[in-house]
Amino acid sequence: MKRNTLVLGITLLLLAVFAWAGWANWEYRKQAAEKRLAMAEKAELIPAGGDANVPVFVSPLMNKPAPNFTLENLNGQRISLASYKGKAVLINFWATWCGPCKLETPWLVELRNQYAPQGFEVLGISTEGDDLAADDKAGWNRDKGAIAAFVEQNHVPYPILINGDSLSKPYGGLDEMPTSYFVDRNGNVVAAVLGLTSKADIESNIRKSLGAGK
Amino acid sequence: MSAVRTANVADIEAEIKTQMCGSSERMTVRRKLLLAIVAALLAVAAPAQSPLSDSPNRSITHGAAVQYLFPEQVTIPAGKPSLVALHFQIAQGFHINSNKPKEDFLIPTVFSIPAASGVALRSAAYPDGTDITLPLDPGTRLSVYTGEFTIETRLVAERGNHLVQASLRYQACDKNACMPPKTITVPIDVIGQ
Repeated sequence: MKRNTLVLGITLLLLAVFAWAGWANWEYRKQAAEKRLAMAEKAELIPAGGDANVPVFVSPLMNKPAPNFTLENLNGQRISLASYKGKAVLINFWATWCGPCKLETPWLVELRNQYAPQGFEVLGISTEGDDLAADDKAGWNRDKGAIAAFVEQNHVPYPILINGDSLSKPYGGLDEMPTSYFVDRNGNVVAAVLGLTSKADIESNIRKSLGAGK
Repeated sequence: MSAVRTANVADIEAEIKTQMCGSSERMTVRRKLLLAIVAALLAVAAPAQSPLSDSPNRSITHGAAVQYLFPEQVTIPAGKPSLVALHFQIAQGFHINSNKPKEDFLIPTVFSIPAASGVALRSAAYPDGTDITLPLDPGTRLSVYTGEFTIETRLVAERGNHLVQASLRYQACDKNACMPPKTITVPIDVIGQ
């Protein structure tokens, strides 16, 4: 009788330990999943199946609402993504130190002017880089000066916003420039491109965001 | 009576044997059960001990594009300018602007040593950049470093052992995109004798 009680006790104890381990494991997996989600989803470059040297940009924002933001333009006016509701928007993260960004800008200007009558706009967002401190006024003024000169030189007709680094988390890390998100009229991301691509690709994505197909 | 006793003794012995056998079998079953439970527990608990086991695919661009290779430690005459060659490596597929990029907007590669570190940077001789053009922009020539490169520094150390946290600022790109400018720490143990 005593032995049975002992065996029963040990079995119950083991079952309790088992249950605890299961719960702990479930909790761990839940936290890991939450962490992954909270990383907002860090965009990734994943080597493509066919050619391992050509990574494919995989953004977790695809087919999801573009995270809203409000940033200042060069004149200090606050501009928010939400105010473009009903329009197709290309959110183009770029930087003054980025050669490929400078190369694609004339294409963006041309395409923006072409598709604006259909309800399309580009929001150029300058990213300064992680070594410009928030309190470095001289650095920010230098950066604004470089942006203004670039805007003037390229006759950029669309809004240029600053402090793009503040959107790093919701927009997937912004590890490389240029990074473009094409948002449709409903505010959903329909295409995401990291790095310089062809003008034809950009146009194709603009048409997609306008709901015009390819 | 004796026969009964003998029979009883035999029965008791048989019973003891059976009990021992049963006990042994139960022991084996119990041991197996215990082992199974322990194994199951280990299997269940294992993922919690290995956070990388189900980590998502990692970006290939996160982290530094440039690594400091060597030297980790140098011994130079105290108070006397001495040549120290610092070796770096750039990740495959990336390039960084040379110390003298061809365009004003490009960020040059610059090595520096913080003040009051016991070691002064008298001069730094950077290698010439290699001229390249990118497939999507054949009209623009860039002056860049790729692979391994060496900066020839002239250091002046005070007498003693100085763990210098020097810096290298650079801005890296691949053929289609650019990473933000970055400053990496270059740790060098400089002994001034």
